[in-house]
Parts: sequence; structure tokens; C-alpha cells
Amino acid sequence: MKRMLIRIMHRLQLRESWIIFFILGIIMMTFPFLHIFNKPITLFGFPLMFLYLMIGWAVSIFVIYLFMRAYSSHNHNPDEKKDV
Amino acid sequence: MSPGIAYAASISAFYTALIFLVAWYAHHRKESGRSIVSNPIIYSLSLAVYCTSWTFYGSVGKASTTGIDFLMIYLGPSLAAFSWLFLLRRIIRISQDNNITSIADFISLRYGKSLWLGALVTIIAILGIMPYIALQIKAVSHSFYLVSGLQIHDITLGGSESGAKLPTGLILALILSVFSIIFGARRLVSSERHEGLIAAVAFESLIKLLSLIGVGLFVTYGLFDGFTDIFSRFKAFDPAAFDRLFTFDASGSSPDSIPTFTMLFLSMGAIMLLPRQFHVMVIENSDERHISTAMWLFPTYLFLINLFVMPIALGGILTTGSTSGADFFVINIPLITGNSAIAQLAFLGGLSAAAGMVMVESVAISTMLLNHIFMPVIVRCTPQAWFPILLINLKRLGILLVIMMGYFYHRIVGDSYMLVNMGLISFSAAAQFLPAMLGGLYWRRGNKAGAIGGILLGSLTWFYTLLLPSFSRSGWLPADLLTEGPFGISLLKPTALFGLSDMDLWSHSLFWSMLFNVSSYIVCSILLKQTEQEREQVHKFIGIFEQQPSSRHPETKRLSKPVTTEQFVTLMAKFIGETEANRAISQYIGNREINAQGTVSEFELPNLKRHTEKTLAGSVGAAAAGAIVDSFLSDMGSRMESVYDIYSTVRTSLDQSRESLFVRLKASEIINRTLDLQIIMDDLLNLLLKEFKLDVAIIQLKKDSDAFLVSSYQGTHRRPISSSHWYTESRPYLDMVYRDGKPHFTNDVRQASEMLPLDMTIAEGIVSFAHIPISREGEPAIGILSVFSKSIAGLFTEEFIGLLSSLSGQLAQAITIVQEMQAKDRERDQKELALLQNARVLRDMEIAKQIQISLLPNSAPEISGIDLAGRCISAAHVGGDYFDFFRRNEHTVDMLIADVSGHSVGAALIMAEVRTLLRAQVNSAHSASAILNILNSQLHDDLTRAELFITMFYAKYSSASGKLSYSNAGHNHPIIHRSSQDSCIELDTEGLIIGVKTSVVFEERSIELISGDVLLFYTDGLTEACDSEGEMFGAARVCSHLGAVSDLPAKEIIDSLYDAVIAFSGTRSLQDDISMVVLKIN
Repeated sequence: MKRMLIRIMHRLQLRESWIIFFILGIIMMTFPFLHIFNKPITLFGFPLMFLYLMIGWAVSIFVIYLFMRAYSSHNHNPDEKKDV
Repeated sequence: MSPGIAYAASISAFYTALIFLVAWYAHHRKESGRSIVSNPIIYSLSLAVYCTSWTFYGSVGKASTTGIDFLMIYLGPSLAAFSWLFLLRRIIRISQDNNITSIADFISLRYGKSLWLGALVTIIAILGIMPYIALQIKAVSHSFYLVSGLQIHDITLGGSESGAKLPTGLILALILSVFSIIFGARRLVSSERHEGLIAAVAFESLIKLLSLIGVGLFVTYGLFDGFTDIFSRFKAFDPAAFDRLFTFDASGSSPDSIPTFTMLFLSMGAIMLLPRQFHVMVIENSDERHISTAMWLFPTYLFLINLFVMPIALGGILTTGSTSGADFFVINIPLITGNSAIAQLAFLGGLSAAAGMVMVESVAISTMLLNHIFMPVIVRCTPQAWFPILLINLKRLGILLVIMMGYFYHRIVGDSYMLVNMGLISFSAAAQFLPAMLGGLYWRRGNKAGAIGGILLGSLTWFYTLLLPSFSRSGWLPADLLTEGPFGISLLKPTALFGLSDMDLWSHSLFWSMLFNVSSYIVCSILLKQTEQEREQVHKFIGIFEQQPSSRHPETKRLSKPVTTEQFVTLMAKFIGETEANRAISQYIGNREINAQGTVSEFELPNLKRHTEKTLAGSVGAAAAGAIVDSFLSDMGSRMESVYDIYSTVRTSLDQSRESLFVRLKASEIINRTLDLQIIMDDLLNLLLKEFKLDVAIIQLKKDSDAFLVSSYQGTHRRPISSSHWYTESRPYLDMVYRDGKPHFTNDVRQASEMLPLDMTIAEGIVSFAHIPISREGEPAIGILSVFSKSIAGLFTEEFIGLLSSLSGQLAQAITIVQEMQAKDRERDQKELALLQNARVLRDMEIAKQIQISLLPNSAPEISGIDLAGRCISAAHVGGDYFDFFRRNEHTVDMLIADVSGHSVGAALIMAEVRTLLRAQVNSAHSASAILNILNSQLHDDLTRAELFITMFYAKYSSASGKLSYSNAGHNHPIIHRSSQDSCIELDTEGLIIGVKTSVVFEERSIELISGDVLLFYTDGLTEACDSEGEMFGAARVCSHLGAVSDLPAKEIIDSLYDAVIAFSGTRSLQDDISMVVLKIN
């Protein structure tokens, strides 16, 4: 599990992956895609769209956080990776 | 005045004091060098100045009316954070390298420090920001009424109807202005970070977050029973509204609903391009590394502050029963439910949000206003001592102006828009900078014309389709402009331009403005050319991460007339004050060399000019700084002119080094091809003449004396080189270069001639020249390379001089090698000659030896009754020993032995002379003493001249009488061994050495020899031969040995004596010649 995480972090250092995530984010926030969640139903008492946006947002923040961990461990201290 | 007002006012005052305290503390910490602001968390919090009262109040308002799409305003920046690592880092790097003060500064710098572009961006920023500031004033003053329990817009003093009415909005605006001036415009240097301001903003960000979360918790868990409770209750209360609020309106049927993409795009642009965002993100950034934390911390902040917006909105509708006044649910809900403490908290949060935004925004805008509107006018005037005071007050005025414009917009547009919609007008304006900004960072061809055209057209469209309708809607402009179009032309209706109807206001405006903006940016950039100044900036902006910090960009400009450091300081002092100017210059000089007069080298001047510009740019913006320095230089009669491109091809830094490499390569080819120095020097000079724009090249080598010898002269005017030739005028330079071992060059000969007459040189048409010492690293110069150009002043760049020096070094190496080889050759020749001579001498000596041997008698004359033998063994090739026999008649024989002092050729010659004389005299003189006498008198002069002398023993023996008569000239005494006796008889007579006195009396004696007598004549070599311990052979040994061998024939006696001496001395090589003559009487 730990090793997989490290490997993922390695892949995340690619500059392309930043741009891919950025574009992916835009696609998920715009229309054809939004239609999937654009329904007036509730899930566990939460409106679907509310749930989608808030969870998606939290995930995207977490992704940036992972990016930065990978980036700074790669750029500043290669040993730090072991702690992750 | 109601108690509510007093209460609200005192809370506000208390809060304001708190903010002051925070700001003062941060400022104090910075002054003492322990900044609390310079850390990533404060940086992230300061970015949250993005969340204004629009977020605080407006989000709830929008959530209540159009639903969840308000989140797009925050999701956009969150997404944009993905790009910060490369986009924002690049912008920050560029800004810090160039002392950028604002976004207008940034854009104008990219497009060649364009004054027009800076002014344009500033005007658009001011216009664009007006609604935004108005929004803050509206929100705060409205919330103030709510908290203080009033419903009117003006506070009436004294309670009477006729009493003076005090507009809260105006008071608020004034308070905010004072606040901003105190924190944002204390000093003029705008590129410097404002730690107090940032601390206040970060603190306010914290307050507004806590406040909104507090209200959210109160509503969600205090009034209701968690999220699901609110959602289910609201669904039960109004199912249709629930469906509407939690879905996006994809059809665009409602005029107020804005497509998600429009909001996403606008907010993504706004997070970077709004002047205040640019200010906190870029200008106030203290460390690039803070970005990486801010990238996730800032989105987290946005996430948290929006978490409770939806519950508050729904709770507000549930509590009040309608969506009216939804913008202020955050305050209204606690008030209605009777929780005034929560309401106060909410009010403070809203105040924080508004105050932070207004402060930063007004500071950012006033900087732009000063640098791009006021400065271009001011720089046309002559700098005065009171300029710093004027400038700082203009900046303060700018802050006031910006806030007041917001206030008046608020008065005009007022309540006709919701908060969010007012903010979006500003976002649309900021979006106009996007093409020029992104293009400037990544597209090399983007040019000034494109940027101006794009921003101008885009913002005109924005003004027409968005700002104008906002005036019109509030009734300030005739309404039929919107419904009918200008002059009734429906195609030009601002809200449906060119017939594009049925679109919401913002998407419509965004579409048209971006279309015009982007297309004119691209079209102009492709069709028109960049100026040189722009190209220089393009390199700085796009190559910022490719450039190695160590590699220096070769200088392409020079100042036509040198300016001293002092003059630059004076110039700077006029704009930023004396202290700042001195600080800036000492910072610059720090690690650079300057000479005794305080001037920097010619190559450093363009750097100093750039530094001056950069320093000034920190206060007045790059465009104005450029203008200031340029006008200063032109007043001085100096200007920047292009350095002549010494290489024929168009150069980039890569090509240039290749050209330089080519010349070096050619030079080493020339040097290695031959050892003929003349060819090397001629070819090298011709290479220089061919590759560079030079007209004359001379190599002069130092001779032993003081003079220089022209060793090679190439180029024009090859007239005979004489003392009246024009180049002799440069002699003082030559001496200087020779003495210092450093190159000297003059890029403009007329200036140099002020110090030193160079009339003939100027008459020749020379405009620039350089003298390079020819020397190897660390050694004194051996000559000087001089180059002259008739066509180009400013030919000699640092780099070119470097190349010439390097070639001179190679040449010095070649000359030294050739000279060393010549010296070696000479030495070898000399040695050979010496050897040859030696051999010749040896051969001569050998010949001389042979001759000398042949001069000695090879056999003794045969006389009956005696046995006679003689032998000479010389130590050297030739010697001074001599013996001879003369047979007078059949009974009589003369014998002699002589020793010329020394063993030299001279001795041998004297010996030959003696022999010749003797042979001549033998027949005339008969007695031994007479012969010696004659010899002495004849040889005296010769011997004295040669500093030689002769010892000689002369004897005459007659076998008939048996009598030996003899005479001695200082020779060692011969001995006679008589068989009857053990000892030997010494033959002794008086007589001086020949060659000492002119007349000497030689005694003559005679002795009767009997049979068996052995008479031995010898030279001192025999008795003085030494053994290894230094003991001499001695006369006694000779005598005893003679006795032992007296029976042998005379010849064998000699051999035996010789063998005995060799055996005694233990060596075959003699120290002295040995000659012996033996006479044995039978």
C-alpha cells in the first residue's frame, strides 16, 4: 500500500499530469458532464449536486496536496518519501 | 442617535483598533527583523482577500435565489491553483527580478515598457473595480443599519427631521481610505512588501472565516438539526424551489442564471488578474516556496468558508419565509431569532471582508494610478527636490480617489443589482487582461500593438455590454438604450449585440469581449513587428526559467557618453529620496569593482543604468522609470546606442559564441601551421582584419631597450613605417598597456583626444582603437597588439576585448615557443663549434706531438766505447722536455738535456727554438759554457715575453780522452754510477736558469769517466714522481736503481727506470714529462 502510494507520487511529479488534472477539473465542472448529477434527488438526505460538488472539491484539494507533497519531497529532500 | 448605533459603532471602533494593533505589531516585528508575515500560512490567508463581502453576504443571497451555482465562483480559483506551480511561479520570478509594482506594470513591461499600455490597463482596472468597491460599501453600510436596528440609509443626527443627515456610506468610505493610506502608502516604494497591511488582511481573513463558520454552525446545529434536517425541511417547505436550487439551469431560461462555464472562467481569471489578487499573490510574496502550501491551503479556505452557505441560505428562507433580503441572511437570521451576539459576529465578519478588500484594492490601484497616469506626466518635468513628497501624496490621493469612485458608483447603481452580480462586472473587466497576460508569458510573438488592441477592444466591448447597462438599469441612463439600442439601431443593443439575444448579460459580454480581445491580440501580433525593446523583454519573460543565473547576457548596448555613479544617485534621490538612493547604489556596488574616481567601467554602465531603472521602477513603475532615465541621459547628452555587432551574422547568444569559436579556431590553426613568426603574425592580423570591421592591425614587439619594434603591420596605409607615422601618437597608450599588462581601448577617439593629442590618428579617419598586451598568463608583456577601426565607434565590447586578449595570449605563447626554440638552436650550434674546435686543437696537438717527437733524435750516434740512449715520455701531448746529441767526430759527442717550464704548446715551441739555435751554434761554439751563454743571450727576450724559462745541462764527452766536460743552467744534477762505489756522483756546476738574466757566467767543469760508469741525465719528472701517499721517487731511489741495472745496455736501463717509476707511482699517467739520457762507458 505504502509502496503504491510512493509510486503514484512519483507519477504525479510529471508536469503533464498537472495539466491533465486541470483540464479534467474543467470538464467535470462544465456541462455535458454536470448533467449526470443535475438531478433533483437526494442521497442520504443530501441533494445529489451538493454532494457531488463538495466531495469533488474536497478530493481535488487532496489531489493538490498530494501533488505538493510529491513535489517538495522530490525537490527538497529525497528521503522524505519514505515517511509518506 | 439610537443606542443601536452607538453599540454598533463602538464594536466597529473596537475592531478597527484591534486591526491597527495587529498591523502595527507585524510592522514592528518586520522592523526588528523577525517577520511574522513571511510564512506560507499568512500568505494563504492573505490570498483569501479574494473572499470579500460578496462571499460573506452575496453567496448566501445568490444561493437562496439561483441555487448552488454560486459555488462556481470558488471552484474556479480552486482549479486555477493547479496551474500555480508553473504559472504563478513564473510571474513572481519575473516580478521580483524587475521590481514590478502592479499588474499594469507587469503587462506594460512585457510589451516594451509601453506607457500607453500601462495607462490603458490602469484605466480599465479603475473602471472595472468601481462596482466591486461599491459592492463593499453597500454591503457594509447595509449590514450596519441591520445591526444598529435602522432601516433608513442615512443616520439622522439629533433625532429631528431637520437635523443634518450623515451618510454612513461616505463615512465608511472615508474611514477605509484613512485605513488604506496608513497601511498602504506610508512609503513610496511600492515593490516593497507592506507587512502591516498583509498582517491586517490575513487577520481579517481569519475573522471572516471564523465568523461565517460560526453563523453556519449556529444556523445548522442551533436552529436546525444538522444538514439533512435543513435539506429535508426545505424540501417539504418548497419542493419546486428545492429542485431549482440544487440543479443547474441548463436551458438559460432565467435571465439571472449564469451558465456555469461563464462563472468558472471569470473566477479563474479573477483570482490571478484582479489588481488586489495580483498584489497579494505576486507583489507581497516573500518567498516562492510559499506557493506550494498556498496551492492547497487556499482552496481549503474557500471550501470551508462555503461549507455552510447552502444551509444558511435554506435556513434563511425557512426562517424568513421568502428570498427577499437574502443578501443579508447572515445577519438577519440571528437577529430574527434573537441572537444579537451572533449577529454582531456576522457583522464583524462582513466588515473584515469588506475592509480587507478595499484596503488592498485601493493600494494596488493607487500604485497603478500613480505610476501609469501621473508619472508619465511628471517625468516630463525637471526633477525637483520636493518630488518624493509630491509623489507619496499623489499616491494617497489616488487611494482616496479610488474609494470615492466606488462610493459614487454605489450611490448611482445602488440597489438595482444583487451583490454577486455587481462583483461579476468587475470580474469581466479583469478577464480582459487574460490574453495579453498569458500570451505575454508563453507566446514569443505577442506584441505591444496586439496587447493594446486586444485590451482596448475587449474593454470597450465590456464597457458597452456590461457597465453601460448597469448604469442604464439603475435609471441613470435612459432605459430605451437597452430596449431599442442606440439611435434605435437594434443590432447595436448593448445586451444583444449584433442580434445575439436570449443570452444572459455576463455570458453575452464575455463572449463578445473575449472574441474581440483575443482576435485583435493575435491578428496584430502576427501582422505587426515587435520593437527591439519589446524583444529584449520577451527574452526576460519567456526565458526566465531557462536562463542560468550564472551566465551573463552579453552586452548589446553602450552609453555614448559615460555617466558617473554620482549622477545616477542624484537622479534617484530626486524621486525616492537621498537615503533610498544611497541604499540602492551601495547595494548595487556591493560586489563590483569600481575604480578610485568612483566611476564604474564602461561595460558596467549599462548595468548601472538598468539597476537605476529597476530601483526607480520599484516606486514609479517600469515604464515611467524607463522614461525618467532616458530623458536624464538625453539631458546629459548621452544615450544608449547599439553596440556594433562584431560578427557578421545575426546573433543570438548561441550563434555568437559559435562565431567567436570560429575565430579562435582559425587563430590556433594559423599559429600551429608554422614556426615562422612573421607568417604567424601576418596571418593573424589578416584574420582579424577579415573577420571584424577593422582597418589597421599592428603587432609591436618589445626590443631589449625601451623601444617597440613594429613586427607586423596589416591593413590600409602601408606606407613606410617611420617616426612620423600616425600610429606613433598612440605611444603613451602603448607604454601604459605595457606597464599595466591590461588592454586599453577607446570607443570614441574624439573623446580620448581631449586628454591626449591624437590629431594625426583622427585625420586618418580612425574612430576607435584598442591596444592589447601580448603576454602569457601571469607574465610580463612581450609586445602589443593594436587594432584600429575607421568605421565603427563602440566596436570594442567587453566580449570583443576578451576575444582579442585571448588571441594575444595565444600569440604570446607562439612567440615564446619560437624564441625558445631559436635559443636552443643557437646553443646547440655553439656546442658543435666548440667540439669541432676542440677536435681541431686535438688534431693539431697530435701533429705537434708527432713533430716534437720527430725533433728529438730517434737514435743516439754510435761512438766506439760508449753506449748512449735517450728517451722522452711526455705527460701531455706536447711538452717542454728536450734532449739531443751532436756527434762532433768519431770520438766526441755533445749531449744535452733541457726542460722548458710548463707543458704548454708554448713550451714546445720554445723547445723547438732551442733546438734550432743549438743546431746553428753547435758548430761555432765549442765549450759547453759558451753554448749555454749564447743560448741565454739569444733566448732571453723570447723567454721573458713568453714568461718561460729553461733549465739545461750541456755536456761534451770525448771517448779518446775519457773526459766529460759540462756546464749547467739550473738543471737538476745528473748522476754517475760507478761500479766500484755504492753512491752516485752528482755533477754540479754553477749556473743560472736560462732566461732570467741577460748575461750569466756558466761554470764549466770536467770529470774523467772510467769504464763501467753509467751517466744519467734526467728531468725532474723522474725524481718528483709521487706515489699515492705523496712521497717522491727521489734521487736516492734513482741512484740505487741505477746501480741495480748498471749491467744492462743503456736503452734497457732507461726502460727499467721508467718501469720503476710507473710501479712506484702506481699509475700509468705521468704528472710531468720524463726525459732521460744514459751514457754507459764500456
